Amino acid sequence: MNAPEFAIHLDHVSKAYRLWGRRSQFATLKSALLKRDLKLAPEASIAALSDVSFAVHRGEAFGIVGRNGSGKSTLLKLISGILKPTSGAIAVNGRIAALIELGAGFHPEITGRENIYINGIMLGLSRRDIESRFDKIVDFSGIRDFIDQPVKTYSSGMYVRLGFAVAVHVDPDILLIDEVLSVGDEEFSQKCIAKIQEMKYRGVTLVFVTHQLGQVRDLCDRALWLDHGRVAAVGDPVRVVDEYLQVVAGHAQQPAAAVTTETQSAEEPAETKKDPLEEERWGSGEVLLTRVALTDDQGRDLVALGAGTPVTIALDVEVRAPQEDFVFGIGIYHADGSCVYGTNTDIEGLQAQRIAANGRAHFVMPSLDLVAGAYRVDAAIHTRNGRAFDYRRGVIRFVVGSRIHDIGVYRPKHTWRFEGGITFREVDTLKRDVPAEMAEYIRESEKD
Amino acid sequence: MNQLATLYRSRQLIAALTARDLKARYRGSVLGFFWSLANPLLLLAVYTLVFTKFFPQQVVTPYPLFLFAGILPWTFFSAATLESTNAITSNAGLIKKVMFPAEALPLVVVLSHLVHFALAIPVLLGAIVIFVILGQTVLSPIILLVPVLMLVQTIFVAGVALTVSSASVLFRDLRDLVTNLMQLGFFVTPIIYLIDRIDSRLLRALLRVNPMTSFVIAYQDVLFFGRFPSVSDTFLMLAYAFASIVVGFTVFDRLRDTLAEAI
Repeated sequence: MNAPEFAIHLDHVSKAYRLWGRRSQFATLKSALLKRDLKLAPEASIAALSDVSFAVHRGEAFGIVGRNGSGKSTLLKLISGILKPTSGAIAVNGRIAALIELGAGFHPEITGRENIYINGIMLGLSRRDIESRFDKIVDFSGIRDFIDQPVKTYSSGMYVRLGFAVAVHVDPDILLIDEVLSVGDEEFSQKCIAKIQEMKYRGVTLVFVTHQLGQVRDLCDRALWLDHGRVAAVGDPVRVVDEYLQVVAGHAQQPAAAVTTETQSAEEPAETKKDPLEEERWGSGEVLLTRVALTDDQGRDLVALGAGTPVTIALDVEVRAPQEDFVFGIGIYHADGSCVYGTNTDIEGLQAQRIAANGRAHFVMPSLDLVAGAYRVDAAIHTRNGRAFDYRRGVIRFVVGSRIHDIGVYRPKHTWRFEGGITFREVDTLKRDVPAEMAEYIRESEKD
Repeated sequence: MNQLATLYRSRQLIAALTARDLKARYRGSVLGFFWSLANPLLLLAVYTLVFTKFFPQQVVTPYPLFLFAGILPWTFFSAATLESTNAITSNAGLIKKVMFPAEALPLVVVLSHLVHFALAIPVLLGAIVIFVILGQTVLSPIILLVPVLMLVQTIFVAGVALTVSSASVLFRDLRDLVTNLMQLGFFVTPIIYLIDRIDSRLLRALLRVNPMTSFVIAYQDVLFFGRFPSVSDTFLMLAYAFASIVVGFTVFDRLRDTLAEAI
């Protein structure tokens, strides 16, 4: 079990939190003395993790995704040793540093300089180690001017910068990161990701918990999807993230259930961040988009599709007051919020004449050439100057699946062709992870 | 043994946290560290005023010095014990979010109070010198035993702090209980009176059950009377220190795994 190629090994690990009833929430000394038992009897317990087994290889970047309350943070706390498992065994090889919360050990009354020392010692450095790294830490944090001020005068952004700067300079063998890459401004966030990539390059084992699924896809070698305390999937990050998104999308499409995918840890209030996948709808309502559907060329609803499939977006229109100035608009967005494509009938030179009765508009794409990932569609009907009759943001979400791990959002139709002394070995489509159509191209090109 | 190894490994952490504690305590106050010297002096002034003017009971002369010898170790014990009821709960962030040897927290409390105690020793020595000049007392080399007494007492207090800090996470009542016990403790420890002046044998025996009785009497022997502590007090002190630290580590170890959840 303790094979040295594993940085972390979990063997049938379960963790149950004890729930204290209202009366016994704070057990009294009297009751303990009367029962002559220091062990308090909890009224019930709740399973946070059930029978979790997996291994993280040395030098691997490992992502953990899942909804709020699925046990992700508990898992990190177990690995870091803050919590003890109820059953099962955890083996860790190497020095571990856990970023469960940045700057958790800062004391407000003393200066940033003194806090760097104490925080560093808490993370396992010696005083001399910190002295030699002190300048690097301060430079990374970018708050040199304030380093001799008490930490209580810092803004929360400065607090986080300093916390992260100390933590990444600890040089651990294993770094556990819980949802902390989303803090700070854009510039600092980039700096953090660059630093983490550098650590990965140097062979540090990384374990992430994040809701920014793009990061899992970009940074991780493998991913684990945790659902209600159980391992739902583990393996290739693109596949795991897509499976996860598919379930999230499936839930979100049920109209009554306002399922919000979580973008923050359970401790934060849910309103602080807008969920990029959540549907929003606004408009004056003279014309309504009663139904927006993503269908294939036979009119069947789609949630998951392969790259390059023909797709139609159908918009059912209900007219409450006839209009002469109207524009249909479609926008396709990546799950991270970036726009993939947007157009409307006005841009494309279609001049509106009259919309008088209910009908249906079709936006037909013979081939949707997107890279694997989760996407959402905005559909709208509005006036030429942009006043919305009905704007439905994120009305459809869908997942594009693929077995090849190309990157970006757009996959142009393409082939590889080689001339001269360049040869490739025979491609066995069963062995290589290449979709059928790609294998076809390759074979075609090899015939030449 | 395991725990001692852990503590040895976290010695830098404990030292850094103690320094932080001391710095943070006086940050922003005008007199800063002088409070560590001023506090015992002011305390002494109050007690001297009360027990020489309001309730004159000149059990021994010079009475202020006698009071001082007993109050300092008592304050070390009671302040450290009281504060350790909060040592873990007030650092919930560390316990829940950082890999952290939790036993460091009560020990930091004990050490920072030990520093206050140590800083008061020069004040005490100054007082002794004044009374020597006044011809009311004599300076004895036995006073050099004070660091040994402080070491033994620190072990005793550390054991109490370990027990109280971990147990009060689960039993919140403990904080109030300890506060009241300390009020009682001050009077059932022979600080403002001499144990020999108590007539009832039974009462004297009961006072001896209080562990702090032996410590305070030993300090008074060394600092005030200039004589060696009695054999029985020495034996009792060592026994209490040993028992306290063993109980402290045992209780702490039993409760350790539940701390992160129960806070």
